Amino acid sequence: MGEIQKGLFSVIEKLKGTTEQELRIVLLGLDNAGKTTLLKKLASEDVNMITPTQGFNIKSVTFHGMKLNVWDIGGQRKIRPFWKKYLENTDLLIYVIDSADKKRFEETGLELSELIDEENLKGVPLLIFANKQDLTTASTASEITEGLNLHTYRDREWQIQACSAISGEGVQDGMNWISNNIVKKKK
Amino acid sequence: MAEDSEWVVESIAGYLGSPEWLIPLTDFIENKCSVFDDEEENKLSYTEIHQQYKQLVEKLLENYMQEVGISEQQFLDACSSPFAKSKTLQALFQPVLATNDFQLFRSLMVQKNVELQLQALRVIKERNGALPECLTDGTDVMSELEQQEMQILQEVLKRSKEEYEEEIARREHVAPKVGSTSASLGEEPVRNGTGPQAAAHTPAQPINSLGKKEDKVISERSSDSASPKASDNCSTETRTLPAVRVPVKGPAPPPMSREKTANQAAESWLEEARKEAGISKPFRELTVAQQEELQQRAEYLRQQRDKLQALKKEQKGKSVAVEETPSPTPTPAPATQEISVEEKKKLQKRKHLAEKLKEEVIKK
Ligand SMILES: Nc1nc2c(ncn2[C@@H]2O[C@H](COP(=O)(O)OP(=O)(O)OP(=O)(O)O)[C@@H](O)[C@H]2O)c(=O)[nH]1
Ligand SMILES: [Mg+2]
Repeated sequence: MGEIQKGLFSVIEKLKGTTEQELRIVLLGLDNAGKTTLLKKLASEDVNMITPTQGFNIKSVTFHGMKLNVWDIGGQRKIRPFWKKYLENTDLLIYVIDSADKKRFEETGLELSELIDEENLKGVPLLIFANKQDLTTASTASEITEGLNLHTYRDREWQIQACSAISGEGVQDGMNWISNNIVKKKK
Repeated sequence: MAEDSEWVVESIAGYLGSPEWLIPLTDFIENKCSVFDDEEENKLSYTEIHQQYKQLVEKLLENYMQEVGISEQQFLDACSSPFAKSKTLQALFQPVLATNDFQLFRSLMVQKNVELQLQALRVIKERNGALPECLTDGTDVMSELEQQEMQILQEVLKRSKEEYEEEIARREHVAPKVGSTSASLGEEPVRNGTGPQAAAHTPAQPINSLGKKEDKVISERSSDSASPKASDNCSTETRTLPAVRVPVKGPAPPPMSREKTANQAAESWLEEARKEAGISKPFRELTVAQQEELQQRAEYLRQQRDKLQALKKEQKGKSVAVEETPSPTPTPAPATQEISVEEKKKLQKRKHLAEKLKEEVIKK
């Protein structure tokens, strides 16, 4: 995009007349991790009839007076190459992990480390949801932190939050982290 | 600075109502809209198309700014002037805003898709007296269709209101120097949906909705039916789409370009804008005048409604003529009668709706 147009579009953006602050959030993670479930939970919608995502979903939720535009993109292997088309201007990356799917920890760790290296996500804060904590076989957040070597991520703010997208437990805590760490910085 | 930005806004508004802007934009939307259904989930291909749309708008605006000699700074100033913040101008800016707003872009595309599907089906129906079986799917497509039609009518009425206001604003503004208002309008309207782009539209791109639920279908089903799997009959019919496109007013492009020059359009938009910005409010000062305005508006809407119905009749007339040519499948009398009853019902419904809308519009 040309420099002029950048300025141009940013002004045009103001024409919308919204004084509300907006955040662009991208939800990623392997297929079956629970991204769409989480998205619907955030929007207070029914989480029972969710099918695997072939494309992407967007929901705008208001949170602490902020408009969060959350993009949930399908995680199937064949869709992952498209992830990078959705990373521009992202304010926050939420990465969802199925904590009970130990067989795929390595795979999910690999995908995450590749994402972190994306130019468009340089320095973008990262919130990891260790999802499906309602399952007895779920690993804890700290086990996952170990397994994924999260403490080696020093180029950004990050947080891992245990949750169950289905029951909603822990989701709010994650959102609070967003409001405490991202929103304040942006203002 | 205020005056400086005033002419810039004026110029921008004029451009956003001009054929130079509207034609490429409308072409793009009509060409690309067929994959946009109203499923909740978005297809990956939408993103690609949105990207192309951005590039198009960027290129158009770049050219325009260069041509007119508006600098970035002037543009920015103009856009932040109170003048540019009016609702009317914002409506003009919708297609520009859609570059930065995927949801808005998507709704634009879905709307256009539904509209084109509906037109295609209407043509088929009117030419054949009924929808060929391959299009009905044995379900109540028609009642869903009717709903869609209502939506379009609603759009038409909304448009009418806007046009009316524009008209008033223009008269207000230009009145002293009128003479012959339409002198410069001679040329054919901006878009007539001719040729390749229209033909390319429906049949070319099959829709893959990626196997999801079957309930809320309308657009999906109708696009299915227009896809290549339909019989010869259907695809021939779909090709006649451009011919009928004219009467139906699409929601996408701002209305004024059709019958006004860019300058006039700009003037009328601006007049509106001025009012909204509170710079002068000729109408609001007089309650009597206000009442008169309401009456005029009501009359105008009535006229619009009548025009619409006349158009319908005209189309029907044509379709009858077509049916007189011998057709391979003999259409028995009952069928035609059935339709005219149905038509009547539709007209009544439409009238009813028009009344309701009219009330709503006037209340505002
Ligand atoms: N037990 C349990 N199941 C969950 C939880 N969250 C999601 N699921 C289930 O996990 C399955 C996958 O959830 P989705 O939300 O479709 O996963 P996704 O990440 O969107 O998957 P893709 O769209 O393929 O990328 C569904 O059957 C959900 O009901 C959770 O917290 N606990
Ligand atoms: Mg999903």
